[in-house]
Amino acid sequence: MRLKARGKWICLVWIVPVLLLLLGAGTARAVLTQCPAGATWLTPGEPGAGDVVCMHITGGDGFTYMADGHEQYIFSFGRVAPGTPDAQVLTDYTLKATFPAPTIVMKEGQELYLTLTNVGMVMRPDLFDPHSVHWHGFKNAAPIFDGLPEPSPTPNMGASITYYYKPIHPGTYFYHCHVEAAEHMQMGMIGNVWVLPAQDDLPNLTNLNGFIHTTGNKYVYNDGDGSTLYDRSFAIQLTGFDSNFHDAHIAVQPLPFAAMKDTYPMINGRGYPATINPGSILNRDNFAAQPMNAVISANRGQKILLRVSNISTTDFFSITTTLGIPMKVVGTGAQLLRSPTGQDLTYDTYVLNTAGGEHYDVILDTASVPQGTYFLYTTNLRFLSNNQEERGGLMTEIVIN
Amino acid sequence: MFKRIDIGRCRTLLAAAVVFSMVLGVTVSASATIQGITGTTFNLVARTGNISTSDGDSFLMWGYGLATAASMQYPGPTLILQQGQTITVTLRNELPAAAGNVSIVFPGQIVTASGGVQGLLTREAPPDLTTTVTYTFVASEPGTYLYHSGTRPDLQVEMGLVGAIIVRPSLGASYAYNHANTQFDREFLYLLTEMDPRIHRSVALGMYNQVDTSNYYATNWFINGRNFPDVMLDNNIPWLPNQPYNCQPRMHPGETVLVRLIGAGRDPHPMHLHGADFAAIAVDGRTLESAPGQGADLQWEANTIRVLPGQTVDVTWTWTGQGLGWDIYGHVAGDPLEPGEDPTDHAKPFPVIIPPRDVLTFGQFYSGSPFLGGAGELPSGHPGLNAFGGFFYMWHSHTEKELTSNDIWPGGLVSFMIVEPPGVPIP
Repeated sequence: MRLKARGKWICLVWIVPVLLLLLGAGTARAVLTQCPAGATWLTPGEPGAGDVVCMHITGGDGFTYMADGHEQYIFSFGRVAPGTPDAQVLTDYTLKATFPAPTIVMKEGQELYLTLTNVGMVMRPDLFDPHSVHWHGFKNAAPIFDGLPEPSPTPNMGASITYYYKPIHPGTYFYHCHVEAAEHMQMGMIGNVWVLPAQDDLPNLTNLNGFIHTTGNKYVYNDGDGSTLYDRSFAIQLTGFDSNFHDAHIAVQPLPFAAMKDTYPMINGRGYPATINPGSILNRDNFAAQPMNAVISANRGQKILLRVSNISTTDFFSITTTLGIPMKVVGTGAQLLRSPTGQDLTYDTYVLNTAGGEHYDVILDTASVPQGTYFLYTTNLRFLSNNQEERGGLMTEIVIN
Repeated sequence: MFKRIDIGRCRTLLAAAVVFSMVLGVTVSASATIQGITGTTFNLVARTGNISTSDGDSFLMWGYGLATAASMQYPGPTLILQQGQTITVTLRNELPAAAGNVSIVFPGQIVTASGGVQGLLTREAPPDLTTTVTYTFVASEPGTYLYHSGTRPDLQVEMGLVGAIIVRPSLGASYAYNHANTQFDREFLYLLTEMDPRIHRSVALGMYNQVDTSNYYATNWFINGRNFPDVMLDNNIPWLPNQPYNCQPRMHPGETVLVRLIGAGRDPHPMHLHGADFAAIAVDGRTLESAPGQGADLQWEANTIRVLPGQTVDVTWTWTGQGLGWDIYGHVAGDPLEPGEDPTDHAKPFPVIIPPRDVLTFGQFYSGSPFLGGAGELPSGHPGLNAFGGFFYMWHSHTEKELTSNDIWPGGLVSFMIVEPPGVPIP
C-alpha cells in the first residue's frame, strides 16, 4: 500500500507538467503515423487482408495485477486505434500499455508499416528513455528496422518512428523493446508476431507430394507435405516478473540488475489461475492491461498448435502437459525442423525445455485424448507460484471438448 | 523529410574514414579473426594477475600464461592445432602456495600425463615454481574444444584457469571439419564465462576460508575474457594486458562466418544472433551428421543457440540482405549492382520517412543513414563509431540479465557483428 500511495503522489505532482511539456513541444509534429493509402489496419491477433497492412503501437508505462493481487508497474506497448489523429495519441494513450503487447499476425509476403510512438513513462517523469521494436528472428534484417538502439535511431518521448517489414519466412516470432533490454524486457515490453505461410492460400485440392490441400487448411510452414497442418493455434509466451525490480522502479529506486530473480512466472502475461480467466484483467484505471488469457481448447481429434516462446530475462523454463500424448516439435526459431538435405528433424517430447530467446512450434494431436480438462505446466516446480502464493505461476488449462 | 544518401559520395567519405582511423588507431580497425598460438609444444605457467571489467572494477585472477611471457592471461592461450599432430603441453605452477596444486584437463582428448604429483583427475603441478607436468595427446579429431584446470575446478576455473582449443581439419584451414559443407570465410571465438566477484575478493585478501563456491551467484559475464564494450576493442591493447583477446566479428555481405562457441563457465547461456539465422553444424567437436562422412548434413537453423557448461557448439552464419523489399544500398535505377546484391530489390525505394533528428536518439553505431555504406549527418556529441556505414548486429545472451557487468548496464555477454560494405578492408 505504501508503494501504491507513493506512486500516486509522484503521478499527481508530475503528470500535469509533463503533459504540458509534451504538448508544448509540438506533439502534432513529433507523432507521425506512416501508413500508405489503401493499406489495411491490422486487428491484434488477426491477419489483415491485402498486400499492405499497418499498425500503430505505443511504447510507455502502465499497471497490471499479478494473480495474487499484487499490483505491478510495467513498461510495454499499447495499441493505438486506427484513425486516431496524431495530435490525440499522447493525450489518449499514456498509461495504456498492455502486457503482453498487441499480437501481430501477418501473411507471408505482406508489407507491414508499424508505427511506434513513444508516449513516455508518465509514472517515471525523471526518465527520458527511447523505445524500439525488435522483431526477434527476422531473417536478413537491416539495422534501421531491427530495433537495436545502438546502430539505429529510436524515438524520444513524444515522437514516432515507423518500421517496415516484408517477412518472407513464415513462423512463430516475438517482438520486444531492445532499449536497455535487460530493464525494458523485464518491465514487460514483449509481444507476439506470427507469420502465416503462403501454403495456407493454395488452391483447393492442390497436391502437396501426396497430401491433398483443401481450402481452409492451416500450416505452420511451407512444408510441402502437410506435415505441419493444425486446426487451432495458441500463444504460450513464457515470461516472468521480478517484483523487487518492478517495485523499485515505481519507487524511483536504483534497479537491482545483479539481484534480478523472477518471482512471478507467467504465460501470456498472467500467472495461474488468472491464465484461465477468459476475460481481460482490468488495472487500477479499469483499463484492460492484461487482455490475453492462456486457455487452450479444442475438439477431440483436432491438432493444436502451441506457439511457444521464452522471453524471460532470467530463466530457462520447461513445460509439459497432462494429456498423455507427446508434444511434436516441428519448428524452432521460425524455421521448419528439416535439414538442408530434406531430412526430418522434428521430434516428439513430453517435456519441452526453452531458453530465453527461443521459440518453438509444437503440435498436439488430440485424436486419442478423452474429453476433459487437462493442464499445461512447468516442470520447474518453483515456478508454479505467484511469488509467495503456491498453486500458481506457469500453468494453464487444456480443455478437450 | 529524409534524403537518400549518395553512395558515390560515401565512397569518398569511406576512404577518408579509413585514413582517419589509421591515423588514430580507433576501434574500427579491431582485428576480426581468432588469435591464438600454433605449434605442437606449448609451455604454460599458472600465475596470478588482474583483469579489468567494463564497470570500472578490477579482479584478481589465476590464469594460464605462456612460459615465455611475463604474466597470465584470461582466458588462457587459444591453442590452434592441426589434426593428427601429437601435442605436448607442459605446466608449471607459480600460484601462491595457498592456491595449492594446479593442472589441465582436455575434455575430448585422450591424454597421457607425466611428472608432478597425482591428483584426483590428472597429474598436478605443486606451487613450487619448478615442477613441470607434461600432458600429451594426439589431436585426432578436428573441432572446437576447451581446456581447464582439473584441480578443484569449482574454484580454479572460476579464478580463470580455462582456455580454448581449435583443431584444424586435414581438409584445410578454411573448413571447420573434413567436409565441404563446413567451409567458412572467417571465424570467431565466443568463449563464455561468468564470475562471482565475492570469490575473487576473498582470494585477493587471502581469506581462503571465506571462499564458498556452493552459493555461487554470478554477476559478471565475459566473452573471451572481456565484457562489452571492451570485447570490441582490438586484440592486445595495452590497457588490458591480461585480457588479450577481443570478440569483434566482421564480414562482407554474402560471406560465411564460423562461430565457435564454448561454455567455459558453469552456467548455460542462450546466445542470440541478430541479423540472420545461424546453422548449427557441430556440438562438442562432432558434426551433426546422419552417417560418417556426411559432414554437417543434419544441421539446423535458428537464431538462438544454447551453450551449456563444458559444451562447444559450432555454427555458421551468413547475411545477404536479400528479400527486404528495399535496396539496402539506396541505389537508384541504373546504378551498378554491388557484389552479391539482390537484383529483385535493386533501386526499390526506402519505404518510410525517418523523422527529424531532433526527435530521435542516435545510437553510437548508427551511421546517420539506413543504407549499407551510407553516411548521414550526426548530432553533435555523437561518437561516430561507424565510419564505414556498416550494419551492426548484436550477438548476445538472451538471458538479458547477463547484459550487465556487476549491476551496471550495459556490459556482459554482448558483442556486435559488423557487416561491412563491400570493399571495406577487414584485417
